[in-house]
This record gives sequence, structure tokens and C-alpha cells, in this order.
Amino acid sequence: MEKHEKIGVYICHCGVNISQTVRVEEVAEALKSNPEVVVSTTYKFMCSDPGQKMVEEDIQKHGLTRVVVAACSPHMHELTFRNACERAGLNRYLFQMANIREHCAWVHSDVDAATAKAKALVNAAARRVAWQEPLQPMKAKINPGTLVVGGGIAGIQAALEIAESGNKVYLVEKESTIGGQMAKFDKTFPTLDCSACILTPKMVSVSHRKNIETLTLSEVEEVSGFVGNFKVRIRKKARYVHDNCTSCGECAKVCPVRVPNWFDEFTQQRTAIHKAFPQAVPNTYVIDRQDKPPCTEACPIRQEAAGYVALIKQGRFHEAAQLIHKRNPLPIVCGRVCYHPCETECNRGYVDEPVAIQHLKRFALDWEMKHNGRFEPPKIDKKRKEKVAVIGSGPAGLTCAHDLALNGYPVTVFEQHSVLGGMLAVGIPEYRLPKKLLEMEIEYMKGMGIKFKTNSKLGADFTLESLLKQDFKAIFVAIGAHKGVKLYVPGEDLEGVISGVDFLRRVNLGISREIGRHVAVIGGGNTAIDAARTALRCGAEKVAILYRRTRQEMPASPEEIADAEAEGVHIAYLTAPTEISGKNGKVTGLRCTRMKLGEPDSSGRRRPIPIPNSEHELEFDTVIAAISQSPDIACLNGKSTVHLDSTKWDTLQVNPETLQTNVPNIFSAGDVVLGPSTIIASMGGGRRAAESIDKFLNNQPLKDYKTHVVRPEIFRGESFRPHSYAPTYKETPRAPRTHAPKLDPQQRAAIFAEVELGYSEEQAMREAARCLSCGVCVECHECERVCEPKAVDYSMPDEIREVEVGQVIIATGYDIFDASKMFQYGYGKLKNVYSSLEFERMLSSTGPTGGKVLLENGKEPRAVGIIHCVGSRDANFNRYCSRVCCMYAMKFAHLVKDRTSAEVYQFYIDMRAYGKGYEEFYSRILEEGVNVIRGKVAEVVEKKTPDGDKFLNIRCEDTLIGKFREIPLDMVILCNGLQPNKTADKIARQFGLSRSPDGFFLERHPKLDPFSTVSEGIYLAGCAQGPKDIPDTVSQASAAAGRALAMISKAEVDLDPIRAWIDERYCSGCRICNNLCPYHAIDFIEEKKISLVNDALCKGCGTCVAACPAGAITGKGFSDRQIYAELEGILAG
Amino acid sequence: MKIEDIRTPGRLTPKESELRVAFLEQVGVIPGGEKIKACIQCGTCTGSCPVSYAMDVPPRELIALFRAGDMEALLKSKAIWTCASCYACQTRCPAAIKITDVIYALKRTAMERKIYSAKFPVHSLADSFMKSMFRFGRLNEPRLMVYYFLKSGFWKAFSYLPLGLKMAGKERIEYRASKIKDIKGLRKIMKAAEKLDMPIEYEVKPYREEAVGYKAVG
Repeated sequence: MEKHEKIGVYICHCGVNISQTVRVEEVAEALKSNPEVVVSTTYKFMCSDPGQKMVEEDIQKHGLTRVVVAACSPHMHELTFRNACERAGLNRYLFQMANIREHCAWVHSDVDAATAKAKALVNAAARRVAWQEPLQPMKAKINPGTLVVGGGIAGIQAALEIAESGNKVYLVEKESTIGGQMAKFDKTFPTLDCSACILTPKMVSVSHRKNIETLTLSEVEEVSGFVGNFKVRIRKKARYVHDNCTSCGECAKVCPVRVPNWFDEFTQQRTAIHKAFPQAVPNTYVIDRQDKPPCTEACPIRQEAAGYVALIKQGRFHEAAQLIHKRNPLPIVCGRVCYHPCETECNRGYVDEPVAIQHLKRFALDWEMKHNGRFEPPKIDKKRKEKVAVIGSGPAGLTCAHDLALNGYPVTVFEQHSVLGGMLAVGIPEYRLPKKLLEMEIEYMKGMGIKFKTNSKLGADFTLESLLKQDFKAIFVAIGAHKGVKLYVPGEDLEGVISGVDFLRRVNLGISREIGRHVAVIGGGNTAIDAARTALRCGAEKVAILYRRTRQEMPASPEEIADAEAEGVHIAYLTAPTEISGKNGKVTGLRCTRMKLGEPDSSGRRRPIPIPNSEHELEFDTVIAAISQSPDIACLNGKSTVHLDSTKWDTLQVNPETLQTNVPNIFSAGDVVLGPSTIIASMGGGRRAAESIDKFLNNQPLKDYKTHVVRPEIFRGESFRPHSYAPTYKETPRAPRTHAPKLDPQQRAAIFAEVELGYSEEQAMREAARCLSCGVCVECHECERVCEPKAVDYSMPDEIREVEVGQVIIATGYDIFDASKMFQYGYGKLKNVYSSLEFERMLSSTGPTGGKVLLENGKEPRAVGIIHCVGSRDANFNRYCSRVCCMYAMKFAHLVKDRTSAEVYQFYIDMRAYGKGYEEFYSRILEEGVNVIRGKVAEVVEKKTPDGDKFLNIRCEDTLIGKFREIPLDMVILCNGLQPNKTADKIARQFGLSRSPDGFFLERHPKLDPFSTVSEGIYLAGCAQGPKDIPDTVSQASAAAGRALAMISKAEVDLDPIRAWIDERYCSGCRICNNLCPYHAIDFIEEKKISLVNDALCKGCGTCVAACPAGAITGKGFSDRQIYAELEGILAG
Repeated sequence: MKIEDIRTPGRLTPKESELRVAFLEQVGVIPGGEKIKACIQCGTCTGSCPVSYAMDVPPRELIALFRAGDMEALLKSKAIWTCASCYACQTRCPAAIKITDVIYALKRTAMERKIYSAKFPVHSLADSFMKSMFRFGRLNEPRLMVYYFLKSGFWKAFSYLPLGLKMAGKERIEYRASKIKDIKGLRKIMKAAEKLDMPIEYEVKPYREEAVGYKAVG
């Protein structure tokens, strides 16, 4: 099909760039066979003024209607020729460019083949251009805001330049302070200006500029849009310190955590709440919270275990006790009899043994009681009118009452027994939890204003209904599980058979301590052990525990089992009673059968199976059945009209999340819900119920629980680190757990005195030092306590910012090469081998040595070696020259000479001192007597003198004399090369940028546009584009800012009208395209029953074009006809 | 005028360029062997070499000699026969030059062209070793010594007499040379390998005349 257009074809020689590989004349000649081609000619430089003139003149002379230029990449000159066409009166979109330089000349060496390919490409362009249609460019407004990514010197400079013009700048920095790598330097070459002196004023002026918004601890998450109209989503990580921080530093003084400071290249220690360096901007502290400590996460009441452990480590026992008391309503109880899920989850347990968190807690509280007496109940300012009833004074009831009382509610606790504490009082023996300690806890609660009513039993003395009538707005039911489960074997009614809980209750309440001579305890839980040990103390001669599985499956805690055995309790495993035999109504013995273990059952434990014919008779006069307990819920629903749902196990049915029963204002937790469980689980339930009741009484929805967070799974292999500064598990030095002293087993078995004696101060501190400080911040809340302006806020969430900007400047900078990859230099293994940044920190007055050049042993070095090109100019690592190393190496040499009397050796390959004043600096250090050796160091090894003095030995060839040399040194400084920041990959993907093979961002043109990218509106500054020194970085940043400002003042940008277009005649209104469009750019017009494209939103991606079943959608500039013509052109050659 | 002295601008002398072609053919067998041109003369190889103290020409200078167009000095050097094949230089070379492999290429060229360092007959030992292998399929010390001393100077053998007697006294010498089972098969393999080892016919690139001179090495 012919279009009868008049086409002009121009082939460029590009000097010899194209013509040496492509026979351009032949290409021009070949095109003449196309009847539409009116002009086909070649020229040396089409992009030059005469070249463009030629096109313009031909348009006028021959009346050309289409133009094709075959030259370089459209990136280079498409715009040039479009403008030329427009000047001559031809629509700019009736021009097509064929790339025969990058696609033919530069990539081929075969002239014939390259010429043939060029012919095909030009022919394709000529066929295509015939079908092109005149289009009008679209205009888009430019948002005057700018996003600068990276807060180093490049980002700071660019931000300041733009802010100077009065436009808005968002400066995004991933660390807690701006300043980047330059802030770490001491001096700058070659003028030896103090880096801090020239950088900090700039940093401060960034913070003073109203139109610069500095977003620290922030990273770009998503970018969308196009030049002039970018939408950027930024995640601002929580700082946990508000802006009203006065930077007084009191918080850092009390922080118990020490980790290496990233800013000092890990050569100095810092606290978890810290400021990177004294001049940091913004000048506020920041808490490094990398992860939640697993002990805290594991605790149902979220007790900050890591926090008090860290405080004990420092010998701050009072603060530790305060911290424990703040969160825990029953701290003394928990310190003695908690099931400690924190220790189960403790990361240290995966290294050797878990930290003895429970013992440490007990120690802190014992210390506090010994030194400061009893705890003062807190003053409660809040006052609420709504009365709350708590039924049951066990751990769940007490915790709930405590939390509600803290919120100001008047709480009344009802207890059926004469003593308070529930199972704590009646179930746990005196030797584990002395009663007077429990009384102290209750006293504390009473001090908080909680009312207690003892001897009032639900169902007998009052009912749920009567409580509601007494104007209790909410009721918490925590009646526990006090009914022993029966054995269901013959002979259970005989005298001498008793349930474990009943026995313990009897002894604990002081009713009777009577017990037989030979006692059998049946069961393997903590109650069984408690019953057995209590029986011993009550005077039983022989106590045996019968358990039907083995020790591995025993639910009682292993320590308790060991203690019981030490006291003389005999444990018979794989033994189950089949019958209790008796005479005259009294127990005389047990008929037992032996068991073996079968397949695992639903609880995951192996199911015991009786061995046939293994029955045997054992002699006992008392049998204690301690197999399990169940709640006694008969009292709940007896006479009451309020009915609570229960489950088939006789526990209450509650919403597992809110702990609400079927009656909206009645909540329940503890053993009555869980069945026989642990103290801490019940306390967790009580705490969550209190939260629920508070929400319920405030008419808030019952969701988003602070006390109920799903714990993440942690992978804990050998390479796991509890936080990023910690050694891996494999590298962590092993240290066994400190065992607390106990009473002598022989002595204690007869008395009810407390068995465990607790740590001494020194033991406690030693044990606490085993904590790995998981997640850096251990949540001790000490900083919160001392902060006067109340700036510390642990609950601060991460913030998501959506900003709209017109242009973006990428200034993400560099990282230094990891020298430990070049193991021949011993970095990371040998002492006194430093990386360049480590040495910069050593030189700095705020660094680890205060600016002195010292060895690890604190002595001054006698000789220092400086190795150039570490990781640069090396085919094994980075091919490129990092440009700055020679110069900073000379700076190091000068400063070492200046500050010490050491001999300095420099090992270089080629000395590159190319800038203003640089060569002069080279001369200067030569004159200062630095030994300059041409030769790359082969290896650094440690050697000893005959008197055992260690030194570093460098082996290299002095290439200028052609000799192998060995040079003894005290210190080696590596000149690490520069490589792209590790975030470069992410940034490249987010912003759609290309990177050159070395990993740095690719500039639009290496000579003429080194600070732009191929993406319009995105500019580069500093080392993100390639290694460079500070003057070059600043120049480039200013140039990028200049380019951004030019765009801002232009206020409007021309966009190619490459958009989807719907031919109304063919649209059937099927609306398939509406949902497919990723930019929601297609709307359905109800009146016309057709879809239309919104040009402002359309990105020209073409999805709808392909999807339209009627073929009604066309991509402007990419119509089917144009593409077919282009294909035909290529295939026709 | 002797053929060695003919000089043309931009060309090496005919003898030098002939040696160079022979060497580059050998280097061509090494994957990545062409990297030899990328040397930055940093000296890492010499510094890493455990036997560089015994070399008359350090490894770095071997490449410098190649660049300078002095193939004869290169092939006559003791250094190429001193190399202990530890590959330390090769693993550390920042220009990724296969230095140890290049030294092997030099040894092969030297043996092909029979250009040896005077009085350093390691090449004859190598020859004798191969001969013993070819005949018996295993190493037979007395015969190796016979081959070697016949090549490198008969009278030298007497200086080894005390050691030989001592070894004989302790029955450390095996007088009978026994062949391995399938000696014919081994010989076939060795012949095939020889063909492969010495310039591979189908892989040798025809060096254009202008690529032989300095231009070839930039």
C-alpha cells in the first residue's frame, strides 16, 4: 500500500564513526529504490548546523512531508532533528530516527554485514515514517518540589542550592544524621581543612532552612510518576525520641547497653539511645531498636526481662527492681515460681544455656526488699466511677484488679478462701513461695485501693446476678481450677486416697499435716512434685511418684524433678495404677502395670501402652492423685439467671482474643478458661482482660491489643546474630549459667524453709553479663525515666510520608571496599591493620584515640605502611581506579608524620595526583621524607622478634629497583577503594535508573551530561555516579541543583503525546480496558456508552491496546500500521 | 647485514617476531592468556612468589621483557625453570594474568625452539622424566638418572655417586625396571596429549603481520 508521501532520507557519517564500518553511500543509494523517497543523501555531520540546514532547505525546496535521519541514538539527537523539522514548518512527529551508529557501526566489524543491517534499519524507518501522523506535544506542569536522596555532602549541597531559590526540598537520609561519609573525616586533602569545620556549618544551615524538610532514618519505598510530577512514598523509621529533645545526654548516661558505633566504624562503643556524633543534625538522640528481645516477646505480661537483666549487669539493682515492679503486679511471686517462658525463648539458650532470668528477677527484688524495705504502692490520679468485680484472687484476678486499679477503677475482689492469692496461697507449698512474701504482694495491692472480700464464695454467698444488681459495670471471672481430676480406677473411695490439690490446700491452709508413712503420688506435673515434696516435709517415710511416661515427657520442670529426687523422692517411670487395693476400707497398696511408649498422640507426646502381664503390687498406705485439675463451674450457673457458656472440658467459653464471655460485660481468664495452666499465662489473661474491660467501659471497639502481639518466628542457625553488632552464635564465647545455691537436700526435706537461696550480688552480675542484648535496645525505660522534657517515646510508630515532587537528585554516595575480601592483607584478622575510614576516625578528635595515632596496645607506632589500591584497579574486585585513594593516602602519610615520629612507607602502583594543588602535595610529602615504594604489596603477615615482640611484615617487590623487599612495620593502613552504596541496587530499581558495569549510576552522557540520567527529571550528584573527591562532588551537586532549578523555572514541560487513543466509532463499551489499566486512566462515559482515555493519567504502556477486542484503541505514534510498516521494512532489507 | 639486525619502524626484528609468534601460539592455548597485555607492572607476582629470591628475572620482569620485545632473554632465563607452580602470583594478580600458565607457555616455547638457559638443565630433567614415563609407564630412578646425565653431562654423574651408594646400601634403589600393564594404551594417550599440548593446529589463530610487533601488545 502506498501513501504517496515525499520522504527525505539523510545518512550521517558521524565523522568516521559510522562511515568506517557502514558504506553510507550505498545505503543512501539503496533507499532511492523506494518510490516515496524523494531525497536520499549522506553528510559528514548531520547534527551540525549545515546538516540541519540541509534538512530544513530540502523540506522547503522539495516539499518533503516526512523526514528520516539515520545517525546515532535518538537519545543523542532526536530532539535536534525534530526541532529542525519544526523550524521548517513540518510537524515534529513526522520525523523518524534510525540508529546506525550504536546498533551497526560500533558493534560490528564486518563492513558488508553492517551495511546490510543499516539498509534494513533505514528502510524500516522510511516505511514507518510514511504512516506517522502529525501529533501535538502535551504540556505538563512542573512541581517545584525536589527530592534529594542521600544526606551526604552531595545531598546537602544540592538541597542548599535549591533551597536558596525558595523552593521546597525533601532531604532523605537513611541514617539518624546527615553528613554522610565526609562527617567521619578528620582533615581533607590537599589543603588539610578540618572536615568538621567546613561540613557542620552546612549541616546546621540545612536544619535552619524552613524549606528543607530533612527526613532522617528514612528510605524511599516507592516512586511513581514522571518528570515534574513524581509521587514518592517514604518510610520514616521511628526515632523513639521527639523533637523536643534538648540533647542534654542524660539518657545516654543511664543506658545499660553498649554496642559499637557505626559512625566510628565500630571502633568506639555507644549506648542504645545515642547520637552518632556530637554535631549530628538533627541534634536529637535516637534509640536503636532493631528487634524486640525474645524474652519480652515471650512473656504473656510483656515484662521487659532484657531491660532488668541489663541493669543488673551494671549493678543498678534498685533501677532493675523498679522496672520489674512497673510492669509486673506479682514480681516476688514471679521471681520464685514463674514457669519462665522467657528463658525458653532466650537467644542465649541457642548458644549454650538460657540466661537465668527468673533468678535475676528474684535477686533484684530480694535486694530491693533488703535495702529499701517494702514497695510503696503508686499514687493513682485517674478516678473512674464504674465499679468492677473480680471473682477469684489468684494470679489472673490479682493482675486484672491491679491493672484496672491503675486506670482508676474501683475494684472489689471476692475470694472463697480465708486467705488471698488463689492457687498461689493454697496450691504452692511454703518451701517454694513463703507466705509472708505473698502477703507483701497483697498488701501492695491493698495500698492501691483494691478492696478484698474473703470467705465469700460464688454461688453460695453471692451470684453473678447479685453482683450486677449491686451496680458492678463489669465482672471478671477467674475462679481457677481447684477440683482434682479423678483417677477412675477401682478403689478410689478408700480412706487414704486424696487428690493433690486437696492435700496441698489442706497443708497450706494449716488445716492438717497428717500423712501416711508410705505415700504414692500419681502424675507427672508440678502439682505431683509439689505434693510429693510436701508429703516428705509432713513426715512421710517413703514417697514415690508413679508416672506412666518417661522423664522426657514429664510436664513438671526438670529442675523441680531433680530437686525432688535429691530430697529422696523415688520416681517410677512407665508405671500406671490399675487398681487401689484396700483392707477394712483403708488403702494397703497399688496394683500397677508397666507401660511402653507408642506413637505420638495429639499433644505430641508418645502415647503410653500397657505391657500385658506386667501387673505387680506395690505397698502404700496413702495415694495422692495429682493427674490434673479442672474448674468447678457448677457454682457459676447454679441459681443465677445469668448463664455463661462452657466447653466440654468444663472450662468457660470465651472469645480467645477479647476474653469476653457470652455475656458482654463478663470477662474471664486464667485456669477457668485455659484448664490447669501456669501462673504467668493466667497473669497474661488477667492483663488482657483488664485491657478489654477498660475498652468495654470506654465504649471502644475490642481490638488492637497492646498485650497481645503475634510473636514472629526467629531463625536461629549458627550464623544468627541477636542484633547487627553482635557476634554470630558460632563466634559467641561460651559461658555456663550461674547456678543459684540451694539448701542441703538432706536438711531441707524435713522443713518448710525456702529451698532456693538466690544469687549474691557478684553472682547476679556475672549471670546478667551473659545476656546478648538482643535487638540492641533492651527496653529498660531508664532513658524515659530520666528524660526531663519527656521526649522519649517507646510507642512511636514508623511514619509513611507521601510527597509530591517535580525532580529527584540521587546522591546516595559510596561504601568503602570490604578489605577482608583480600585476605592476604589480614584485615579483620591481624591487629593494627586498619581500613581507611577506621584510620580517619582514629585521626579525628572525637574518635577512639582522640586524634592520636596509636597501636592497639596504646603505644606509638615506629613504622606505618600505607597500601594503595585495595580493591581498586584489581580484576578480582573492582577494575576502576577509585580516584581519591592516592590523595588521602598522602594525607594519611602527612598526618602520621605530623603526629608521630614514625617512619612512613607508601606502597603505590601509580601515583595519581591530578587536581589543583595535588601534585604540590605529593612533592610536599616526598620532601617530608615519606618512603614511597612503587609496588603492590603481596601480603601482610605477623612476625615475632626473638624477644617475642610482634610486628607486621610487608612483602612486596620494589619494582623500580626490581627487588623483592620485606619491610617490618607496626601499623598498616589500607586505602580501601570506593564502591557504590549498598542501597544502589534498590534505588536503581525504584527510580528505574541504569547502572554502569561497575555498579555506579549511569549518567546521560559521560562528557556532556555527567549529572543527569536518561530518565527526565532525575539527576545524579557525588559518588553515586562514580568515585570522586569532595570538590568534584560539590561541583556536581551544584550542577544537578542547577539543572533542577532550570526545570523549576521552566514551570512546564513538553511530553511526548504517546498515549492510548480510543476511536469512538469502534468502541463497543465493553469496559474490559477500564479495569486493566494500571493507572486507572480509562473512564466509562455513561451517556455515550463508550470508554475514553484520560491523557493526563495515561502512560502509554499499551496494555489496553492489546486487550481491546474491537481494536478500537490505538497507541498514538505506535499504531498497528506503523509497526507493520516498520517490520516490512526490516524484512525487505 | 645479519637477519637479526634488520630493523623497520613499527616492526620487531625478524628473529624476535618469529619467537614471539611461537610464544603467542603457546599462550593462545591458555584460556584468558591474552590478558598478558594488561599487566600494570605492580609487582604483586614477585612479592607473592616464594622462589623469587632464586630467580634471575622476577616474574614481573618476565612480562616486562615480553613487552620490551626481548623474547630471547626471556626464554634463556633461569626463572621460568625455577617456578614452583604454586600459583600464588596467578590468584593475586590484579590484572588477572595467568602468570603461572604463561610461564608454562614459555617453557614449552623454549623446548620447542631449543633455547635454554645455560647451565640450568631443568628442561633435560623434564625430558628424561617424560622418556621414562613413555618407556615404562612409571618413574624408574636409575634410568631417569642415566637419561638425565647423558643429556646434561656425563661426568656430573660421579658427584652423585656417594648418595647413590648410600641409597643402594639401604635398598632404596630399584634396579629392575618393570613396565605397567597397559603400556601401549598409556603411550597412545601420551602421544595424543603431545599433539594437544604443542600448538593445537585448529586453535592457532593466524597472526597478521602487523599484529606481531609492538602493536600486538599495545
